[in-house]
Amino acid sequence: MNILDHPILGEVEAAKRKVTLFVNGRSIEAYEGQPIAAALMAVGIKSFRQTARKQQDRGIFCGIGRCTDCMMTVNGEPNVRTCVTSVAEGMVVETQIGLGSWREIPHE
Amino acid sequence: MNKVELAVIGAGPAGLAAAIEAAQLGVKVVVFDENAQPGGQLFKQIHKFFGSREHRAGTRGFRIGQELLAQTEELGVKVNLGSTVFGLDKRNLWVLKEGKTEVYQADAVIVAAGASENALAFPGSTLPGVMTAGAAQTFINLHRVLPGKKVLMVGSGNVGLIVSYQLMQAGAEVVGLVEAAPSIGGYGVHAAKIKRAGVPLFLGHTIAEAIGEHQVESAVLTKLNESFQPIPGSEITLEVDTICIAVGLTPMMELARMAGAELKYVPKLGGHVPVNNDNMETSITGMFVAGDVCGVEEASSAMEEGRLAGVTAAEYLKHIAGKAAADRKALIREQLSAIRNGTFGNKEHLKDKVKEENTLGLRFSGTPSKDELDSCPGVPSEGRLAKGPVAVIECVQEIPCNPCEQVCPKGAIKVGKPITSLPQLTENACNGCASCVTACPGLAIVTVDRTYDENKALVTFPYEYLPLPETGATVHAVNRQGERICYGQVVKVRNNKKADGTVAISLAVPEEYAMEVRSMAKGGTK
Repeated sequence: MNILDHPILGEVEAAKRKVTLFVNGRSIEAYEGQPIAAALMAVGIKSFRQTARKQQDRGIFCGIGRCTDCMMTVNGEPNVRTCVTSVAEGMVVETQIGLGSWREIPHE
Repeated sequence: MNKVELAVIGAGPAGLAAAIEAAQLGVKVVVFDENAQPGGQLFKQIHKFFGSREHRAGTRGFRIGQELLAQTEELGVKVNLGSTVFGLDKRNLWVLKEGKTEVYQADAVIVAAGASENALAFPGSTLPGVMTAGAAQTFINLHRVLPGKKVLMVGSGNVGLIVSYQLMQAGAEVVGLVEAAPSIGGYGVHAAKIKRAGVPLFLGHTIAEAIGEHQVESAVLTKLNESFQPIPGSEITLEVDTICIAVGLTPMMELARMAGAELKYVPKLGGHVPVNNDNMETSITGMFVAGDVCGVEEASSAMEEGRLAGVTAAEYLKHIAGKAAADRKALIREQLSAIRNGTFGNKEHLKDKVKEENTLGLRFSGTPSKDELDSCPGVPSEGRLAKGPVAVIECVQEIPCNPCEQVCPKGAIKVGKPITSLPQLTENACNGCASCVTACPGLAIVTVDRTYDENKALVTFPYEYLPLPETGATVHAVNRQGERICYGQVVKVRNNKKADGTVAISLAVPEEYAMEVRSMAKGGTK
């Protein structure tokens, strides 16, 4: 859930530009400059990857790029730290299974 | 090979303060930080800082960050962002920037790499929805996204207390705060804020398990015995979607260690820290440290340490010498010791005190006890209360802070030196103007007017939640424990720009509740 108004920080600028990204095929909107993890959190997506051996869910832990728990496959590139990588228009984000693998994203 | 005079690693409060201080003395400084934005953790600190005016007390953390950045810009300090320093020896830095390695040779280095949050292992601790308190704070205050609706906080240090409060400000419900120790770790005033909001404090408890299939759905707490072992059968299950971990920080001393600096294990500083003296010099000539990397404290002391390291580095680089350098360092040391005084300055004695004291009072309940209030020099006498509006300063712990003294137009509040002294109210000088109500970073001051109406008293308290009530509305008035004890009518809502978001709300309440009502229920219009 986006925090639109705040007692100390005020309202989110109405003029903030929005971008669309694709998460496991679903299109979601995000504010430009927001990290991928924040965009996913805003729409309630919490599981970002599954571990290699036990297929356990993992999500955000440290939120500042240190722990690597929030890694996903972004535009075909695995192991992207989503908490410190900004969203971009048309970005393709996928749940990462295990260590992930490099692959081509088909372009239109 | 790039040459720099002084390289500062880390653009947080310590690194930026060091860079500013050195640059002011004529040193050419280059700062490196792995993040895309400078400021370290300052920009997610939206609460007002403690300290004195010199420590920018009463100013919100992110505004201090803005000031530091403006100063670095003015002084022409170069800040290299997205630049991870991954190698360090006595003089050389290896920096990874946009996938390429750059090597810098520096005449002097200040390591201000900060600290990282500790994890806590328990069944279910890897489930999505379990995150550090710092992560939650980053998402709510920087990225403006709520991690969940119902949050459990684990840890009662200042981080756990402050982030609990900020989660509520952002619109989440904090269903509880768990602490293994029998007492609250952080400042009582921070605990009192969340207590007034009705957050249950589970002291002497720990988290036993996080339950959920793909994400957190509930949390199980268990009571601990005196040797911190779980007591079977004492389990409590709370429905939560988010669990925040605030169990301390560990200094990030890896670069200093790599460079060969001598380390020492000091548990109360957070772990292994580079050995340093009161000039912030390490065992390596020309290498200095500042901030959490040499012992976990908070941003105010990090900035003072940064300034000290900045002067020492400038002296080493021959931009300042002799008495001028000594005087400058002495002044900074004085300010540093001012914020290290008091109950929380030396963590060692806390344990002893817990043993001696009974289990009443602010540190054990989040609410000052009757004894604490009766002996508090900021609380006016019955006689004075009967005469008209007056400040009631419920500040019972020696924390380094004095904005109340500085803001009072009547000179009715005295803290003096050391700034950890409790504020003293000269009750006959106070006219109940409420300037101190919105200035107190701990939100520990109200004004009470028992003469307001025949059977109504007026209580004016600080409030930092949305929505703000309308004048004339009837709301649920709450006591220090957050219990709804009566109705109150909103007489005035003062949103002064100088108070920077802290709103003074005046409630007319039944006279007998004048010394009980301390806030209103969040969104609690009747």
